[in-house]
Amino acid sequence: MNKKATILLHSGDMDKALAAFIFANGYAALGVEVKMWFMIWGHNCLKKRKRLFSFPRKPDPAREGMYRVLETDNILQPMIEMLNRGGANHLPLSRLNLMGLGPLLFGKMLKKKNIPSLEELIKSADELGVKFIMCQICFDALGLSVDDLIVPHVEVQGVSSYAKDTMEAQVNLFI
Amino acid sequence: MTVDMDIDVVGKACPLPLITVAKAVRTMQKGQVLRIIGNDPLFEVTILDFCREGGHEVRETSRDGKKVSIVFKV
Repeated sequence: MNKKATILLHSGDMDKALAAFIFANGYAALGVEVKMWFMIWGHNCLKKRKRLFSFPRKPDPAREGMYRVLETDNILQPMIEMLNRGGANHLPLSRLNLMGLGPLLFGKMLKKKNIPSLEELIKSADELGVKFIMCQICFDALGLSVDDLIVPHVEVQGVSSYAKDTMEAQVNLFI
Repeated sequence: MTVDMDIDVVGKACPLPLITVAKAVRTMQKGQVLRIIGNDPLFEVTILDFCREGGHEVRETSRDGKKVSIVFKV
């Protein structure tokens, strides 16, 4: 039987996302079937960075209606989109953030030590066949779209699939 | 010994050697021979773990200062 692992990324902090993606790459490189789940702020590392005052995108019912309830959207979805812009290169640190100076210094440190950046790790996880799965209610509540993410293949699923996957897998991480 | 592919990951830190070797092995056929050279403190352990997990036969390990060269059969 093929070995399986799941990693649920809940945090939107750069250091925690980095750890999650290093483990995902490691397991996938050793031939383990890896599923990464993203909840709440965890999706921030996969988000395409947009401008602060970009025009709110009009949801496409044909595409987004598959996993979202568009009728219950209101002004809060575009508002949270503006406040929570995400982007793999713009995440804060969980400690020593120093109002944005921390991630800058951290990034320089990683580069100097030849440790891959978060964006490189996301790309290589995708190439190694890691599956990305988004939480449906987070997507709905925060008004997100799979087209706004930097990885091309994303599934949107719910808690029953997570429960099934975690029971099948040998390793389950919650970060 | 004939080597089908040569990879150099000198200067690259964990987890890049592991990612690089995993990607390279996927492009190769069974029975081909791969040589990988690196100088990360964890390089040797990483590649030997990779070979054990994937069932690859390690042919040769040599050390030159901090640089380690490992030859294995895919």
